[in-house]
Amino acid sequence: MALSGCLAVIVLALAFNNPQFADFVLRLTIFGSYALSLNLLIGYTGLVSFGHAMFFGFGAYAFGLLMQTERVSIPLAFAASIAGAAVLAVSIGALCIRLKDIYFGILTLAFQMLLHAVILSWVSVTGGDQGLQGGIPRPPFFGVDLSHPKQFFVLACVIFFGLVLLVRQIVESPFGYSLRMVRDNPERALALGLAVQRYKLAAFVISGTIAANAGIMMSLYVSGAYPNFAYWTLSGDGILMIMLGGMTVFLGPIVGAGIFLLLNGIITRTTEYSGLVMGIVLLSVVLGLRRGVLDFVVERCGNLGRAALFTRRIEL
Amino acid sequence: MKGRLTIKGLTKRFGGVVAADNVNLDFEPGSLTAIIGPNGAGKTTLFNLIAGRLTPDAGEVWLNGENVVGLPEVEIVRRGLSRAFQIASLFPQFTAEQAVAAAVHARGRQSHFLLRRFPLPSARARAREVLELVGLEDRAEQLSQQLSHGDQKLLDIALALASGPTVLLLDEPTAGMGREARWQMIEKVYQLWKEQSLTLIFIEHDIDIVFQIAQSVRVLHYGKVLAEGSPREVRGNPAVIEAYLGATGASVPV
Amino acid sequence: MNLPALLDCVSSSSCVVTQVSTGLIIGMLLFLVASGLTLIFGVLGVINFTHGSFYMLGAYFALTAYRVSGSYFEAVIVRALGVAVFGVVFERLFISSVYNSNVLMQLLVCYAFILILDDVVKIVWGTDFQTMGMPSTFALPPIHLFGGFVPPFYVFLTGLTVAAAVGLSVLVNKTRFGKLVRAAAVNRQMLACLGVNTSLLYGAVFGLGSLLAGAAGALAAPVRSMSPEMGFSILIESFIVTVIGGMGSIIGAFFAAVLVGIIRAVGSIGYPLFTDGLMFAFMALVLLVKPTGLFGRKLA
Repeated sequence: MALSGCLAVIVLALAFNNPQFADFVLRLTIFGSYALSLNLLIGYTGLVSFGHAMFFGFGAYAFGLLMQTERVSIPLAFAASIAGAAVLAVSIGALCIRLKDIYFGILTLAFQMLLHAVILSWVSVTGGDQGLQGGIPRPPFFGVDLSHPKQFFVLACVIFFGLVLLVRQIVESPFGYSLRMVRDNPERALALGLAVQRYKLAAFVISGTIAANAGIMMSLYVSGAYPNFAYWTLSGDGILMIMLGGMTVFLGPIVGAGIFLLLNGIITRTTEYSGLVMGIVLLSVVLGLRRGVLDFVVERCGNLGRAALFTRRIEL
Repeated sequence: MKGRLTIKGLTKRFGGVVAADNVNLDFEPGSLTAIIGPNGAGKTTLFNLIAGRLTPDAGEVWLNGENVVGLPEVEIVRRGLSRAFQIASLFPQFTAEQAVAAAVHARGRQSHFLLRRFPLPSARARAREVLELVGLEDRAEQLSQQLSHGDQKLLDIALALASGPTVLLLDEPTAGMGREARWQMIEKVYQLWKEQSLTLIFIEHDIDIVFQIAQSVRVLHYGKVLAEGSPREVRGNPAVIEAYLGATGASVPV
Repeated sequence: MNLPALLDCVSSSSCVVTQVSTGLIIGMLLFLVASGLTLIFGVLGVINFTHGSFYMLGAYFALTAYRVSGSYFEAVIVRALGVAVFGVVFERLFISSVYNSNVLMQLLVCYAFILILDDVVKIVWGTDFQTMGMPSTFALPPIHLFGGFVPPFYVFLTGLTVAAAVGLSVLVNKTRFGKLVRAAAVNRQMLACLGVNTSLLYGAVFGLGSLLAGAAGALAAPVRSMSPEMGFSILIESFIVTVIGGMGSIIGAFFAAVLVGIIRAVGSIGYPLFTDGLMFAFMALVLLVKPTGLFGRKLA
């Protein structure tokens, strides 16, 4: 924990001096928390969702729309959007967890694409394929003025670290181990008295709200909301991130998000054919390593690797 | 009334196959009963019906004075019933201690705790206790998937014991073991039963083992109760002999 | 929601005919793609996310072949086969290594290929929309049917697809190959123990699936414009069809495809922006009521 504290200080110091790096860190906080939330669902609970972007998109649009009414303060809009996302997650989750294996994933995809279609077609409210127009007003609150980039940066980092600690606690708690039980052997979990469906729903809701939070931060970051926030490619990218970084190590998804952002940035800057290069890179990682980067590190470096990555002996 | 299990008229059909045919059985609290029968006799199905994994077409299951038919599996477990499986059903990535601790949490309604660290000290202590009972205490830190077959079966039983059940169902505790290991396992089961004073019902194929420790035996055949009584009575029962060997008249193998 | 336009159309028989025939055509194409998808899933247990790209390749190959040779038939046949070959190679080299891995690995391999193929298409054929136009063989006057006009190509396409559907059904249910395929779907290892070359079988099934997708693309070339994004949209749609019809069922795919085609045609008049939404809503409904689709699980 002390180590991460120092890291945080270093990161912040660097970021203040270098706007490009600060930008990268900002995007990392957004996609890092998105990937972390997805891994809670996939890596810890074993629920492979293909539609996680629906919460990201919902968070962005809900927050953006609320702020555009100009009658709501930021904290209130924030809280309302998160609450809305939770309601969405409970209703959709309750339906999806009724299905097993791949059908669960397909249904999440269906709902996500449904949301996407709603966003595209409800032009009067959402701006259709142009996205939310007019920017996002940022009235100051509690002395914090988010129209100042530095203040926004600090807030984003604070929220991010808070989330990381929160998810860490969740994952290491009895609840977290119950999720692993659901992942590894739901039949036995039932036979031991664990209400498996309730835990699946809880995992769905928790990860959904964290993803929505990432969406809110994204809408503030780009001052808008766009339909591709709820498109299947973002769900796919999320899966990509957690697999790149490693699903069995806690920090894996965040590292994966970082790698993804770096790769994306480098590739789009150097070549017109980003798809081609990205695809080739992806193939080599998937077929070559067969696991995420941090999984690999942990396997090779054994105990030292584990200690450095804040994982315990069996981090699964 | 604690630990009494009574089954009345339990019936279950799968299409044309009658897996359980009007089964009536009574298990005294604290008894040690073996259920035997040829393959396909419906023994595991019976366990599934009792534990709530399957819903019977008809009949009642009275556990500790309450009819639990129709209740979900989780509810039946909460009322004091526990089971171990023929093929060890474990959590491969958990260590033995972690697995049992998780089982303790599940039973103790602590599995949803978000603010504490896993495992809770009380659960860990209980896990150590249970592992000692089955003899796995020096393998507590081993990953479940790395345990030997016999140890995995023991862990499977440990998981079932973690909840402190009053009725314990063991489905072929010696399955897949060699002769020597089987006797050792059944000895452990016997000791467990004596120390924990629970109602223990186990399914078994090996007749010798059954005779060695069981107080009473129930024989199932085609979903029906064919015979019941002490091991000696059952052994000499012609219907039982026929069920096992067809109409050859030879005695049940020793 | 453009209700007046919808009502207008329903009252005009020529409009009805046009919409129904368009819907039918879309349905036919969807069926070809979806049947390949469902075949691959039913037998190999893999959801081939790259399927849409095979369709796209079929269309582009056919375009080039037609431009080069001038004969549409040759274009369709040869290029569909080309896609099939590509499919087999793809399967042997990449998919086979992730058969036993979880669905995430399969998804990633396919996603990688989608990215690669989309860009390859952009490089070779450019990013603009391309059209083939109606090939000279079919530049005939439209057929008068039920008070409306139907291009003869539509009839050809429908006939061909129905024949393909029947052929596929027969292949799967009545031939030895079909038996092997169905057996492999249930228990590959056992089949391998019995001396069957399952790798070859799997390759063949994948090739067949890709053939169907490629053929669909080639057949679609005259009636739909092509762009590098066409792979995505057909994939999503055929996915919906496969789910509604039932993963692994050919008949299911047929009925679901026609259904989806009609919904699309009707939707594009009455509710243009939300047509996709309608389809997803329907898919969600089917999943909730009968997750294995209207026609159930294994190959049928």
